[in-house]
Amino acid sequence: MEHKNKQRNPYWKWVPAAFALSGIIVFIFATYGPPASSSGFVSLLKGFFDWGAPEYAAAKAHYKAIPGPGSWLFAFVLGMAIGGFIAGRTSKEIPVRDMPPIWQKRFGNSRAKRYAATFFGGFLILFGSRLAGGCTLGLFISGSTQLAISGLYFGVVIFAVAMLTARLIFGKIAEKEEIQ
Amino acid sequence: MTDIWLGLFSGIAFGFVIQRIGATDAHRMARSHLMLDADIPRFMVLTVALSAVGLFGLQSVGVGRTLPLPTSIVATGLAAVIFGIGWGLTGYCPGTTWAAAGEGRMDAVFALLGGLAGTALFAQLHETLIPILYDPTNVGQITLTDLFGNYAAAVSVLAVGFGLCTWGIGKLWGSGERSVALGRGSDSGTSSGNAGKSG
Repeated sequence: MEHKNKQRNPYWKWVPAAFALSGIIVFIFATYGPPASSSGFVSLLKGFFDWGAPEYAAAKAHYKAIPGPGSWLFAFVLGMAIGGFIAGRTSKEIPVRDMPPIWQKRFGNSRAKRYAATFFGGFLILFGSRLAGGCTLGLFISGSTQLAISGLYFGVVIFAVAMLTARLIFGKIAEKEEIQ
Repeated sequence: MTDIWLGLFSGIAFGFVIQRIGATDAHRMARSHLMLDADIPRFMVLTVALSAVGLFGLQSVGVGRTLPLPTSIVATGLAAVIFGIGWGLTGYCPGTTWAAAGEGRMDAVFALLGGLAGTALFAQLHETLIPILYDPTNVGQITLTDLFGNYAAAVSVLAVGFGLCTWGIGKLWGSGERSVALGRGSDSGTSSGNAGKSG
C-alpha cells in the first residue's frame, strides 16, 4: 500500500553526489586553478567582439582580463552543456521540461512569459556575477573552498535573497497545493 | 591546447553530476529555495566542505593554483542581492544554464541568452561601476586563514561549520517525502491515504 503510488526519487543521493563533485573540483584545482562558470560568458563575448569589433574588445577592461573562447574557461562551460546533454539522454527518469510545473501553476502555460522571465533572470545573475567577480561556482564554491571571505559572504546573501524571492513569487502556490 | 581538453573534460564531468543531483531542474531548485527539498543546498554545502579539505591536501604537497577573489563590502553584497533575485525567479545560476540548455530545456536557453546580455552590459559599464561600487569598500583577498592565523585551523573551522550546516539544513528543510507528511500533518487520520495520491 505505502509503496504503490510512491514515486521513486530519480536523483542521486546528496552525499555520494557531493563526493563526486568535490572530486571533480579538486581535480580542477590541481590541473587548472579555481573553477568558474560566469567567466565563460565573458570569454564567449570576447570571441564575438574580437571578430566583429576588435577595437572595442581591446579597449574594455572586462574583456582584457579574460581569455577568448580558445581557453579553459570557455571549454569548461561548453563541456557543461555536453555533460548536461549526455546526462539528459542517459536518464529516463529525470524529467526534461521547458517550464517548471511550479511556474505553470503560478503563471499559467505561456511559454513567452516563462522565456521572458528567464531571459530577465539570466540577465540579473550574470550582471551580478560580473560585478562580484564570480557566480555560485566561481565565487561561492571556488571561493569558500579557498576559505575566501568573499565566497562565504556572497554565498550567504545569494541563498537568503533567492529564498526570499522564491517565497514572494511561489510561496502562496506552494502552501495551497502539493508541489512535488 | 591541453588546457582546452582539461576544461572540456572537467566541464562534461561537472555538467553530468549537477544534472544527476537535479540542479539543472528549475522546479527542484524552486523547491529547494522554498525549503521543501533539502538535497541541493546540503549537497552544495557538503561539496564545499569536502573540496576545502581536498584543496588543503593538494596545497600541503605543493599542487594546485589558488586565487581567492577580493571582498568588496558594497559590490560583493549588492551583486549577491541582484544575483539572488535572478536565481530565485528562474531557478538557474550561470553554470546550470549551460548544463540545462545542453539537456534541452528551452527556458535555460533563454536564461543563457539573457546572461550574455547581462555580461555585455556589465562589461560596457565596468570602467564606470568598479570605481564607484567595488573599489571604495574593497578589503582585499581576505580569507579565514587571516582570521584564524593558521591554514589547518581555518580549514577545520570551515569543514566543521559547513558540516553542521548540512545537518541544520536537513532539520530545517523538509526532505521530499517528509514535506508531504508535514503538509497533511494536521489531518492525521487521512494523511496516509492522501499521501499516496499526491505523487
